[in-house]
Amino acid sequence: MRYLLYVSIFLLLFSCASPYKKLEKTVGDLSCVQQFRPVFTTAMYNAQVDVVGNHISGILLLKTMPDSSIRLVFSAKTGLKFFDFGFTRDSGFKVYYILRQMDKQPFITALRKDFELILLEHTAADKGYLLTGPGLHYYAFPQEKGVNYYITDPACHQLIRIEKSSRRKVIVEAIMEQYSNGLPDTIGISHKNFNFTIALKRLENNAAR
Amino acid sequence: MSKVIWLFSFVFIVIAGKAQYTGYKPLADAGSFKEQFARASLQTNSIKSDFVQEKNLSLLSEKMISKGKFWFKKEALLRMEYIEPFQYLMIINNSNVLIRDGQKENRVNTKSSKLFRQINDIMVDCVKGSALANPDFTVRVFDGKQAFLVELSPVAKNVKEYFRTILVTVDKKDYTANSIEMNEQSGDNTVIHFINKELNVNIPDALFAIR
Repeated sequence: MRYLLYVSIFLLLFSCASPYKKLEKTVGDLSCVQQFRPVFTTAMYNAQVDVVGNHISGILLLKTMPDSSIRLVFSAKTGLKFFDFGFTRDSGFKVYYILRQMDKQPFITALRKDFELILLEHTAADKGYLLTGPGLHYYAFPQEKGVNYYITDPACHQLIRIEKSSRRKVIVEAIMEQYSNGLPDTIGISHKNFNFTIALKRLENNAAR
Repeated sequence: MSKVIWLFSFVFIVIAGKAQYTGYKPLADAGSFKEQFARASLQTNSIKSDFVQEKNLSLLSEKMISKGKFWFKKEALLRMEYIEPFQYLMIINNSNVLIRDGQKENRVNTKSSKLFRQINDIMVDCVKGSALANPDFTVRVFDGKQAFLVELSPVAKNVKEYFRTILVTVDKKDYTANSIEMNEQSGDNTVIHFINKELNVNIPDALFAIR
């Protein structure tokens, strides 16, 4: 029985160990991840959002404004606007509009952090560091809470995945794949601590360009 | 929340109560219009049409255009199939609604939700021509050169929260809807233009089947 207790404690400690603990800190050019920052004047994505048993689909429009801030508008396919968020270059965030039923602070905060992750906000090279592991480079950028990791191949040519991590575990995993003209064709965001996923597939934008 | 989300996935929202509309003047004899409208509606058993949907984001000066096909059959069968730039299907079969989005399907019985039923009625009424009698709205009619403009302002609080007005342009030739403009409280609007309309063509019931 006593051994069982020891084993349990050991397993608990082991399972709580940071997945980044075995990585080695090294020197490298942190600005290389900036090539994965989505670049657009306007972009439109088919969006599927699943949040704790609810499915929401719609169109996500991203637009770079003249002051270089980014607006992100999510609407139903039949037209009704769900929300309209703004991200400024100085890390500011503004809710321009959100439907009353969605106006819940935890939901807004989760969306804000998720989109900051894929827009490569808070990735100043002087605030980050580089870790290396087997066949992968982890470009790490400490946040107010936790760390955002942009994980690439050793040559920093390909973005393998993105992770938002607490001290002990990955809490959000994201992918951005099949870049074309500075924009990923596919974006996926998956929360590990609760059932919340966002899947984006780029649409040919036939809006006014 | 689930019901609300699905409602928003097919709801069309409305606009600002303008006092005047360019090219239109208040109709002096609304009674005559209603009479002719009702008579024409009686003669329209089905409508087949293409549509172009224009979503206008007022603050961003952006438009999102989508296109698809539309079928309506009396009394309350409606199918809207978005074809580009995405695929999305909505079928209304009396009190049942089916939404197919990619691999996902959702079925709703509007009897279980007052707001769902109201939205359902709005959509069918706008097409069928019975919107003038819908008690959920106050109605004003304006006269233009080639079309009438019907302004629907929501009365019910739960509808008013999302819809400011719905503007339906009605073709003077056949009294069918040329466009439906839905104006949101946020200032954005969505306009659906019906083109290549065919009236009273044979449309199989299978198109509206919700299995």
